[in-house]
Amino acid sequence: MLDFLQIVVNGIAVGSSYALMGLAMVIIYKTSEVPNFAQGEMALISTYFAYMLIEYHGLPYYVAFPAALIFSAVLGCILEFAVLRRAKEPNILGMIVITIGMEMVLLGLVSWKFGADPKTMAFPILPYDSIALGKIYISTLEVLTLVVVLFLTGALFLFFRFSKLGLAMKATQQNSTAARLMGIRTHRILMVTWGISSFVGCTAGLLIAPVAMQPFMMWDPLLKGFAAAVMGGMTSLPGAVIGAYLLGIIENLFGGYVSIEFKSVVAFLIIVMVLCVKPSGLFARHYVKKV
Amino acid sequence: MKKRQLWVVLAVMVMVIGFAFGAVAEEGVTDTEIHIGQWGPQTGPAAAWGSVARGTAVYFKMINAAGGIHGRKIVYHMFDDGYNPAKTMAGVKELQEGVGIFAWASGVGTAPGMAVRKYLMERKVPWVGAASGSHYWITPPEKYQFATYPLYFNEAMALVAYAVNNLGSKKIAMAYQNDGYGKNGLEGAENMLKRHGLELVAKVPVEVKDKDMKSHVMKMKQAGADTVLLWVSPTHGLTIMGTAKAMQFAPQWMSTSTLSDFPFMYKISKGLWQGVITGSFAELPDSKNPLMKKYKKAYEKYAAKEERWGVFFYAGFGFIEPMVEALHRSGRDLTRERFVKEMEGIRNFKGIMGTINFKPFDPKDPSSRLGTNEVFLVKCLADGKYEVLTSWLTVK
Repeated sequence: MLDFLQIVVNGIAVGSSYALMGLAMVIIYKTSEVPNFAQGEMALISTYFAYMLIEYHGLPYYVAFPAALIFSAVLGCILEFAVLRRAKEPNILGMIVITIGMEMVLLGLVSWKFGADPKTMAFPILPYDSIALGKIYISTLEVLTLVVVLFLTGALFLFFRFSKLGLAMKATQQNSTAARLMGIRTHRILMVTWGISSFVGCTAGLLIAPVAMQPFMMWDPLLKGFAAAVMGGMTSLPGAVIGAYLLGIIENLFGGYVSIEFKSVVAFLIIVMVLCVKPSGLFARHYVKKV
Repeated sequence: MKKRQLWVVLAVMVMVIGFAFGAVAEEGVTDTEIHIGQWGPQTGPAAAWGSVARGTAVYFKMINAAGGIHGRKIVYHMFDDGYNPAKTMAGVKELQEGVGIFAWASGVGTAPGMAVRKYLMERKVPWVGAASGSHYWITPPEKYQFATYPLYFNEAMALVAYAVNNLGSKKIAMAYQNDGYGKNGLEGAENMLKRHGLELVAKVPVEVKDKDMKSHVMKMKQAGADTVLLWVSPTHGLTIMGTAKAMQFAPQWMSTSTLSDFPFMYKISKGLWQGVITGSFAELPDSKNPLMKKYKKAYEKYAAKEERWGVFFYAGFGFIEPMVEALHRSGRDLTRERFVKEMEGIRNFKGIMGTINFKPFDPKDPSSRLGTNEVFLVKCLADGKYEVLTSWLTVK
């Protein structure tokens, strides 16, 4: 029983980083219906930006981390403005290809500037310390990540539901022509969305970096985050988060009781199953566009 | 019609003359140059081992600065394969058929090396010192391949023997990368345990792409392991130890020579690496060995300024010391056959690694192509310093 509980806690702990990446992807998808595959690398470059400030310029982390978060938001806006908006006759497939291209460019940039050796980032708490709940352990870093996820989910949920900007974002996704006719500057809305999403991704990067920092560190969280978002419903913020935690728990239970070798595969198997039964995901309201 | 015949005759003549010259000069060797190739991951998951190739580059620069080998300079062709076997194959083919490489030096990785082994052997291109201790290099032995990295199999045996005999370990668990690299180590560990009438209490496969190691650590903790052997990549080693620390699981950690770069591991693990015991296949960074001093001077002179004097950097020298020796011994009439003959003549050769011996080729004797099996064990102290636990040893 103790083992079972520990495995569930482990699943929740690992689910947090998936959740952050899932959230970041959902934010962009909600407004533009484009899954952004450059998300991981946008977070990567922002995290390395923090690393650069700390290691090369000797700034303390409480300056470097906020600076990286601001950098990430600006980066998101710039990428949307300078790259995506330039696409001629954009369709979804084309946009996806552009994000994949950006992913490669950003990854190359990081590898070129910082090298591919694993590094370590200064962090206010030691990533290997843990809190004991009876005989069940969870690391302090994971608790922190969990808190960040819950806070961001809540904040974003409220933002989309009640703020004017949030509503405008929703409107842009559902019908951008009508939104524009209602006086919403849809281009600007998209740009802001990319900024927010990049910001959320950057928090994920900063929380992953203390353990092992290297150019490929965002691949796994991105893929799993994307999978979780698909499972929860690409347009639902709480859906992505719940999906991420479910994924983490199922993965760990499978690893613990069935087979470690196929642990990562099982996640994708479940997604296929979910998509067969409920194509719009577990928590998304099925929204049909009229032609 | 006549014109066409003339063309045919011309073409035939060109071919004949071409072949005639081909027979005179060996591929990759000119009057003034010897072309040597190498692959090494500068990007990708194994980039930490990319310094091997950069070390080799400095080694050749040092040799060239001293006048080269019998009046010939070494032209070194290195490419980044990102530890991706498909890229290794493409790059090797491109250089071999485009530039013409005399012989291949080192090359990181079991899987990348396996991707090109058949190709190189079929073309009878010598390959010395693959930077991996896989037993695939010598099973079956090939005339043109010379291994200089002690086998993972034997290294794992040495580590387990030390754990059982010197540390009194009773419950040994192992996390191994689920490919040739990890499985070679696994076989060695199981072999030695069997001799002591023991078994691994947990054996946990690690997939290269997996990041989360919680289930892995849980398995070993549940099994109550007192010693854990890690045969994985540096980042996985780190994640496993970090996860274990957070779960308050504190066995004696042991690992392979591929994770023996203590100053580096200590730094990126924020001190977690202290106490880990690994094998080592070469002299330590602060060694007083005269060759090491010479190599360090070359490093100071030719290496990029952000390069670190770590074990994998100078392993780029060590793996191919016998190759350079055989090139010297071959004299001015350098051909591949002569080179192989000189490689086979290397006995009791001592560079910065274990003692190296080769033998005339015997397809039934793998040891005819395995230069050394010597390792010694070291322990990581505070600040990534080394404590030497044993002298050079060969476990059979």
